[in-house]
Amino acid sequence: MPAAISGAFGVVGLGVTEQGRGLGVAPRELQRRAVEAALADAGLTRDDVDGYIGTSAQMFDDIRYLGLRPRFAWTMQAGGATAILAVLNAVGAILTGQARTVACVYGAAPSSAARSGAGGVRGYGAFRYGYPSMYGLIGAAATHALHARRHMHRYGTTSEHLGAVAVAQRAHAALRPGTLGHGRPITLAEHQASPPVVDPFRLLDCCRDTDGGVALLVTTADRARDLPGAFVPVLGLGTGHNIRNWWSGEAFDLHDDIASAKETAFGQAGIGVADVDVAALYDPFTISPIMQLEAYGFCAPGEGGPMHAAGETGLGGRIPTNTGGGQLSGYYATGFTAVVEGLLQMRGAGGATQVAGAEVALVSGHGGNGGVQNTWSQATMVLGAAR
Amino acid sequence: MIPGPRDVVADDLDAPFWDACLRSEFLVHRCGRCSRDYWPASSCTEHGGDAMRWVPASGRGEVHTWTVFRRTYDPELGLPVPYIVAVIQLDEGPFFHTNLVDCAPEDVAVGLPVEAVFTELRPGVVIPRFRPRHLPAGERTPS
Repeated sequence: MPAAISGAFGVVGLGVTEQGRGLGVAPRELQRRAVEAALADAGLTRDDVDGYIGTSAQMFDDIRYLGLRPRFAWTMQAGGATAILAVLNAVGAILTGQARTVACVYGAAPSSAARSGAGGVRGYGAFRYGYPSMYGLIGAAATHALHARRHMHRYGTTSEHLGAVAVAQRAHAALRPGTLGHGRPITLAEHQASPPVVDPFRLLDCCRDTDGGVALLVTTADRARDLPGAFVPVLGLGTGHNIRNWWSGEAFDLHDDIASAKETAFGQAGIGVADVDVAALYDPFTISPIMQLEAYGFCAPGEGGPMHAAGETGLGGRIPTNTGGGQLSGYYATGFTAVVEGLLQMRGAGGATQVAGAEVALVSGHGGNGGVQNTWSQATMVLGAAR
Repeated sequence: MIPGPRDVVADDLDAPFWDACLRSEFLVHRCGRCSRDYWPASSCTEHGGDAMRWVPASGRGEVHTWTVFRRTYDPELGLPVPYIVAVIQLDEGPFFHTNLVDCAPEDVAVGLPVEAVFTELRPGVVIPRFRPRHLPAGERTPS
């Protein structure tokens, strides 16, 4: 997407189902509900969807159940980067003439796996990392703990700094209906009293699996002019890969290859970090917003923790971050949590945690198992105000 | 049961490394063109795969980063908590994920000098773990 067509594509329909623990609804039913909500939001019908990108871990989505008849349908998976990469692929499909309106669809029910008929997938099978699993390295928390520990070593980041992230995001969720943390703020003392999981993470440093569906309808700005719904333009898209840091010996110091992704996405959008009004960052664990704010340049390396502790990531702060509670306190729709929040903010639909006058949103995602840790792929998206 | 290397990676491309563990030898994968060392089996980012070969290494390094598991994720692993997973930066350069043994969780630190010890999980299955290395007089602990 060269800079000249920045804003020429965007999201015209947003469908978000109920998100929560143990909903007992099958993934494809969640997908169906999300697609129908997105179509209603956009003022479109099933006939209008001529491209389909599935993002669920099961890899084969049942288009029959969704009642769609696109010209193409594929599923893709890069962990928490998948949601943004789905939008990127949708833009590419439209650019090459494959479709006019592409549905990017998510639906998963990991927290309902124990219930019969819900169809969730349980277990840590996907979260074993080759040889390290022989040593008990299982689960995403441990892999994030490895770069959290490096950050603590290099910059003096503390458990209280991690706790400040948990408290800040919970404060947002407490004001956002439909999130796990709605009406339930937490204190730093509660964070510090929560049980250790994998050092340095305590229970309140970690997000929880939730069930839910999300669908985005991606189309062109031209097409959106004829539609009744809000159109949120995609101003920039960028990708990075942590293998570059692996080869340079910095994979545990840098969390992700944000540098590459930022260069591309911000360049397309023609913005600098000072232009960003709200950040929706992929946040499976509390270290993630800290290291990402630093890597994007909102603060100096090592300042991400103190920045949270000083309240700079809340409403009215330097960069309001994860205004819906993020994955930590909102809900875990893999990378879609951040994308949804970016879209809501750009539509002015953030409710009690809407950033007044926000015109530019930064959305991030990371993931994809490369063998030994789970933050290989990085995707960055810059959104503009709805029109 | 703790899985062995052939239980968690489907092919045998790292077999020379694991076979050497049976002899208590620690190998790295070296590019014969530039002598850069890698682990596990890799292609050199400059010279590709043609000149890669397994060579003996020191089996020494230092703790680059680490975590302590306080909860059991998979009881079948049979690893009693707490246990330490560390990433060792080998003296030859590559990272190596492992358990740190003979070391209390409160004694782990980035930069701790360590050396490989070989654990027989069961007959024919040996994996390297690492333990703190006591430095000879005159050798300084990395900062």
